[in-house]
Amino acid sequence: MKVQVRALTFSYGLFTLRVPEQDFGEAGITAIVGPNGAGKSTFLKCAASVLPVSRGAVLVGGRDMAGLSARARARLAGYVPQEPSFTFNYQVLDFVLTGRAAFIPAFSSPSRRDIEIAEESLCFVGLEGFSRRLFLELSSGERRLVLIARTLAQQPAVLLLDEPTTFLDPRHEVGMMELLRRLAREKQKTVIVTLHDLDMAVKYADDMVFMKGGAVIASGPPRDVLSEPLLKAVYDIDMGIVRTNGRLVIVR
Amino acid sequence: MSGSRTRRTTSLLFILAAVLPIVLLAVSLNMGAYPVPLKAVWTTVHDALVPGRPAAEASPYADILFRIRLPRLLLALFAGAALAVSGASLQAIFKNPLVFEFSLGISYGAAFGAALSLVFLGRGMPAQVSAFFFAILAVLLVLLIAGRSSSQIISVLLSGIIVSALFQALLSLVEFFANPYALQALIFWLMGSLAHATWSDLSLTLPVIGLGVVILILLRWRMNVLSLGEDEARSVGVNVRQEKILIIVVATLTTAAATSVTGVINWIGLIVPHLVRMMVGADNRKVIPLSASFGACLLLVADDIARTAASFEIPIGILTSVVGIPFFIILLKRSGKVWL
Repeated sequence: MKVQVRALTFSYGLFTLRVPEQDFGEAGITAIVGPNGAGKSTFLKCAASVLPVSRGAVLVGGRDMAGLSARARARLAGYVPQEPSFTFNYQVLDFVLTGRAAFIPAFSSPSRRDIEIAEESLCFVGLEGFSRRLFLELSSGERRLVLIARTLAQQPAVLLLDEPTTFLDPRHEVGMMELLRRLAREKQKTVIVTLHDLDMAVKYADDMVFMKGGAVIASGPPRDVLSEPLLKAVYDIDMGIVRTNGRLVIVR
Repeated sequence: MSGSRTRRTTSLLFILAAVLPIVLLAVSLNMGAYPVPLKAVWTTVHDALVPGRPAAEASPYADILFRIRLPRLLLALFAGAALAVSGASLQAIFKNPLVFEFSLGISYGAAFGAALSLVFLGRGMPAQVSAFFFAILAVLLVLLIAGRSSSQIISVLLSGIIVSALFQALLSLVEFFANPYALQALIFWLMGSLAHATWSDLSLTLPVIGLGVVILILLRWRMNVLSLGEDEARSVGVNVRQEKILIIVVATLTTAAATSVTGVINWIGLIVPHLVRMMVGADNRKVIPLSASFGACLLLVADDIARTAASFEIPIGILTSVVGIPFFIILLKRSGKVWL
C-alpha cells in the first residue's frame, strides 16, 4: 500500500518538521537517514500517526489517517518503537497478542485464531518456542524481534520501524535487515525504517530519504540519489563512495 | 515458567478461586460471638433454600445467621473483591505497580463524601451517592495535578498523596462539626468495620460492586494492552482515552460503593494483585479474576479474625494495615522485576 505525505507540519519547541510532499513506494523498503536531530524519528511517528500532525495529511492507500478511528488506523499502519517501556513482565506470547487489539472487541479476549496468528508472527521473525519466555529475560536483539512480531500480528499493510538496528551486533543487524527484506518481498509490506547505518541503508533499501533540519533534502533509489556532495551536505563531513563488485560502499 | 506445569498450577488456582469463597462463607457463618453448631448452620440454610416447611418450625438460628451474619459476610466478600480488582485494574492502566485506591485519593475522597452525608444529611440519602461523587472528584483532581505526565509513576503518586491529605483534612473538619454521638460512630466507621452491615445498606452497595467487578473482569485482556502505555496502546488500535476513563470510573465507583459502607480498608488493593502476580505472572486475564476471588477471601478471613479474636471488635482497617504494611515492605525489597 502506498504512503503519501502531503504538506506536513509538526513542531514542538524550537524544532519544526516540514515535509511538503513525500511518497513511499509499495512493497519495498524505504530508509530514512540523516544526522541526529534531523527529525527522522519525528517524521516516522507522524507518518505512523503516533504523533498528531498539526497541519497536512498522511494518506495510506489513499485514505487520510487523521479521519480514521484508532482501530482502522492500526489495520493500515503499524509502528515499531525502539524499545517499549515496561512495567509488567509479560510472557512473549501475551505481549505479541496485544497486537491483535484492533481485531478484538474491548469486552472480549483473544480467540484461538488470534493466538495462532501471534504464534505465526513469532515463527516468521524466527522466535518459535519463545511463547512462554518472559519479555524482560530476552536479549535486546530478541526484544526487537518480539516487537516486530507484535506489529506483524497487527497485520498492517505498512510497517514503520524506529531504528531497529541500533545497539545490535553485526550478525543481528544483518539478520534484522534480512527480516525487513522478507517482510517487503514475501508479505508485500511497505516498510519504512529510520537507520543510522548508511551501508545497511544502501545495501537493503529500495529507496532512501535524506533528512536534515526537519526537512527532506533528497530522496530516491540509492543508486540514483547517492552522491558525495549530498553526503557532505547532509552530514557535514567528507565521505567517499566506492563501487566494488556492483555494490556501493561508503568510506569515511 | 515452563509450559504445562505453569498451566496446571494456573487451572488449579482457578478452581481454588471458585471454591474457596463458598467454603469460607460456610465456615464463617458458623463463627461468631454466639456459637452456632455446623449442623444447625446446614439445616437452617437448607430450610431457607428449600421451602415447604411451615414457618413455625423455622430454625431458632435463622435470625442470627440471616439478619446479622450473612449480610456482614457478603459485604466482606464483595468489598474484598471490589478493592482487589480495582487495585489490579488501576495498576495495569496506570502502568504503575504502586497505584491503588488509597494512592489515587479514592479511599479518602469516598470516606469524606460518606462522612459528610452521614453527619449532615443523616440517613435520608444513601451515603454511597456522596461517596461516589467525592471519590470521582478526588481521582479527577489527582489526574489534573499529575497532568500530562500522568503515565509517570512519581507524579501520580505525589498528586495522590496531596489529594488524600486534602480529603483527610476535610474529613477532620466534618469530625470537628459533628455532634459527639455522630462523631463516635464516624470514627469507628472510619477505622473500617463491617459490623454495621444491614440489608438496606447492601441493597445499593452489592449490586454496584457486583456490576463493577464483572465489567472489570470483562475488560481484563484490554488491560494488558493499556498497560503498555498510551502511545503503544493507541498504535495497536485502542481508543485509549475512552477505555481508560471507563476503567477509572468503574474502579472508582466500585471502591466508593465498598468504602461508603465499610469505612477505609487499606492495602487489600495493593497486596492481593501482587500476590496473584507472584503466583501466575503479569497477564491480567489471570490477575483480574483471581484478584477478585482472593481479595474476597482475604477480607472475609480478616473480618473473621476481627470479630472473634478478642472479646471486642478489632477495627478491620487496623488489621489490614498491620498485616499490609510489612507485606508492602517485603514486596519492595523483593521486586527484582520478577513478576512486575
